[in-house]
Amino acid sequence: MPSHPPATTPRTPGRRTVVAGAGLAVGAATLGSPALAATRPLLSTQARHLVGRFSYGVTPALAREVRGRGGARAWFDWQLSPGRISDRQGDALLGWFPHLSWSTSRIAAENDSGRVGGWEVMADYQNWLLLRRMKSRHQVLETMTEFWENHFNVPVSADGVYTYRKHYGDVIRARALDSFESLLQAVSVHPAMGMYLGNAVSDKDHPNENQGRELLELHTVGLAAGYDESDVVDSARILTGWRVDMWDTWAAFYDRGSHYRKPVHVLGFRSANGSGDGRKVTREYLHYLAHHPATAQHLAAKLAVAFVSDTPPASLVRHLAHVYLRHGTQIRPVLRALVDSSEFRHSVGEKIRDPENDLVATYRLMGVDVAKPTDPDRAAHQLLWQASTMGMMPMSWPAPNGQPIAGAAWASPSRVMGSMSTHYTMAGGWWPNKGIHYPKPTSWLPAPTTRFDHLVDHLARQILHRPASDTLQQACREAVATGGHEQVDKNHPVMLWLFPRLLTTFFDSPDFLRR
Amino acid sequence: MTSAAPGGDCCPEYAALNRRSVLRGALALGGATFMVGSATVSASASSPTPASAVLVVLSLRGGADGLSLVVPYGDPGYYNARPTIAIPQGQLLAGTTDGFFGLHPKLAPLSAMWNAGSLAAIHATGLTVANRSHFSAMEEVEEADPGSSARIGWLNRLVSTNSDGSPLQGVGIVNGTPPTEISGPVPLMTIGSLDDASIAADDQWDTDPAGKRRRSLHTLWDHDRSALGVAVRSTLQATADLTPAVAAVDNSASYGGSHLGQALAAAARIIRGNVGTEVITVDQGDWDMHVDLGNLDGGQMLGNADDLATSLAAFFGDLGDQAGKVTLVTISEFGRRVLENGNRGLDHGWGNVMFVAGAGVKGGRYYVDQQQGWKPLSDDLESDLHVTTDYRNVLAEIVAARFGSPVSKVFPGLAPRTIGFMQGA
Repeated sequence: MPSHPPATTPRTPGRRTVVAGAGLAVGAATLGSPALAATRPLLSTQARHLVGRFSYGVTPALAREVRGRGGARAWFDWQLSPGRISDRQGDALLGWFPHLSWSTSRIAAENDSGRVGGWEVMADYQNWLLLRRMKSRHQVLETMTEFWENHFNVPVSADGVYTYRKHYGDVIRARALDSFESLLQAVSVHPAMGMYLGNAVSDKDHPNENQGRELLELHTVGLAAGYDESDVVDSARILTGWRVDMWDTWAAFYDRGSHYRKPVHVLGFRSANGSGDGRKVTREYLHYLAHHPATAQHLAAKLAVAFVSDTPPASLVRHLAHVYLRHGTQIRPVLRALVDSSEFRHSVGEKIRDPENDLVATYRLMGVDVAKPTDPDRAAHQLLWQASTMGMMPMSWPAPNGQPIAGAAWASPSRVMGSMSTHYTMAGGWWPNKGIHYPKPTSWLPAPTTRFDHLVDHLARQILHRPASDTLQQACREAVATGGHEQVDKNHPVMLWLFPRLLTTFFDSPDFLRR
Repeated sequence: MTSAAPGGDCCPEYAALNRRSVLRGALALGGATFMVGSATVSASASSPTPASAVLVVLSLRGGADGLSLVVPYGDPGYYNARPTIAIPQGQLLAGTTDGFFGLHPKLAPLSAMWNAGSLAAIHATGLTVANRSHFSAMEEVEEADPGSSARIGWLNRLVSTNSDGSPLQGVGIVNGTPPTEISGPVPLMTIGSLDDASIAADDQWDTDPAGKRRRSLHTLWDHDRSALGVAVRSTLQATADLTPAVAAVDNSASYGGSHLGQALAAAARIIRGNVGTEVITVDQGDWDMHVDLGNLDGGQMLGNADDLATSLAAFFGDLGDQAGKVTLVTISEFGRRVLENGNRGLDHGWGNVMFVAGAGVKGGRYYVDQQQGWKPLSDDLESDLHVTTDYRNVLAEIVAARFGSPVSKVFPGLAPRTIGFMQGA
């Protein structure tokens, strides 16, 4: 094994430099690589934490954007108004998947004629979502759209929903930072939700209880609210009338003849419900549920689990619930309160990255670029299969509760193996291999010749947005059996056949898989 | 042997070890012959402790309608409540009617097992108090520890009574996240498919005999205290021990192409690989039939029942010389309402049927609680199949008969009642 003595006394950056270098590239300045020091300053640990939780990977470009906005907290506020942030790259993605601009009747007709299956439209939708998360500048909006679309889960494979599913997602994205009530009002009567949970075919004589129950249990007050079976039945009765002419015209309409017209009583909500037009009582009922303290508690806990830790302190949940009610179910004030909490600040690295975030962050942090697809075998059409290897495809969780947001569910051997397989396959640039650009190994070299430990540190800064720890340095030395002081250039085995083994080590590390 | 030895100082989860672990540790010293109970076990240096019994738990997710799978045709209430979706007596599976119950005709692939007495059905089982929430009921059923907030699955407790530190003692075959029933303090294995059960880059190109890739991953994760750290260490250990299962013949082509068939085909390979697995979980989804459960002319029940029976029959034909060890039980979070709704479907209900098949089963017959008997079905809006057998008693009878594990540890607080469907119960 070739080994060159170091020219100067080595100084391996460790965890100490992470602390010391808060906000500045202190570690880089010691590495003797001027280009590095000049162009790769790191965000502080807290800034990396905030941006990391509300994005799909802190790339060097995103870090520049954050600095340009005056810091992480200012960046977050700026991101909360996505309408004011131009996003040409994200917007252009719709043009990559022409089926996603089709009307409901067109989707149905193409499916019925066998030309383009509904499942193909849905695959486009899933890939489009992954690409939006990858390329959109609206990182906070995409993060919150994912959260709410999962909260109001309508799996793409549910019967018939391919006709309305893209529209359903658009409805959620448009309100993802607005108020919970506006979200609830829009999704609860949306044809996609109605078809999935049976409300689209429910009627007054035999109400289908499915949506009436999940509206209470999952979407709003939660089981802890203590409703009983008669509440569930009346909840379903209130929702009767919102129908879809499934498998025929696919028209969504309100049918007065289907609406149950007798007094209803759910928790503290009462209505004489005497009109055949139950749309008003639906709105009043949803308003009641959105503003219910149990809903505030339920949503606050869920947001805290998603963005703070799997076991958030009760004090934080109470605080967020209070903010939610005080601001009339507005989402932005709750998110600000969350990121400003000491509980959030103290949760660095406590969340496990879920498979979808893992996949998207791997693309972003590996610097892999996906091109507009020209054929079905292009990378833009393969993303969801990669997600499947890791354990979950977007919007395909088969039950109305949505996929788990607590990280423990994703801490399984099957997920570990799936993630490692995907990381390694991409580190080698082996698949997907069409309509995609992987950086050349040599483009990761900070200088034509560099010491191995300096190379590792350089990679850690770009991929993990922190200097390499001693543990990571050791793991990298072991992965490619190379000494820390060895000089590496483009002809060194590490930059040739060993490079995928080196690169994948960063993505298989706790510093990547925990966030 | 490249995985961390259990009992080594790397990993906190291996701190507590017992009989199986002592045995496994001894085996690691070299090939040897040991007495386990009355059986003589020979093993090579690296093989895990073989299992003397295997339990496969098949979860029918979404709340399967037990009244369609095992039809109480002798109860007129069944026909009153289901004007469009009831199955006529004359259409029930030939040879399975006993004067009151009969099997859904799509369960025909299971006829041979029924007739051979290796398949039994226990009806009107479930939680002792109705829980109609999928998610809450699933947790309650799978933790099987009422009143506790420990959040430990009953299969995790079962394995813990006899743990040797090998994650392969329990294997979840999953399509996503692990089920509650195997979750808990004992680290267990989950796989999506057996052919993908390996560590990327731990391959023939990794020419270092010590395994550079594995050593590197140990460095990264051995001191990580998160749940992910446990999962990575389990993966490192289990993939090394899983080799005989991966090498076992894959007969999945004979199972049909369904998820369930593929999962059971993988289960059969793990069992034939004889890698020490005692517990395997598999799932079959899509039982939540609020709309278009249907009848024999069409609807969702036809396909699900056919998939269930086809996959189970293939599985029990694919166990080779391990067949005498394997018992399978089906479970669902709740049954469905007796009265059909307006959409040829059924809303969430209460009682259900459980099937038990394979080793030790006194089958070819239906069981209901002997003291309470069958409670007649009614056709009012909220009528349920009333539970007369606590589902834990079904599981406990299997645990006692096949594993000899203390039921009180696996099902805390349960006052066991013998149903009598297992030999030696």
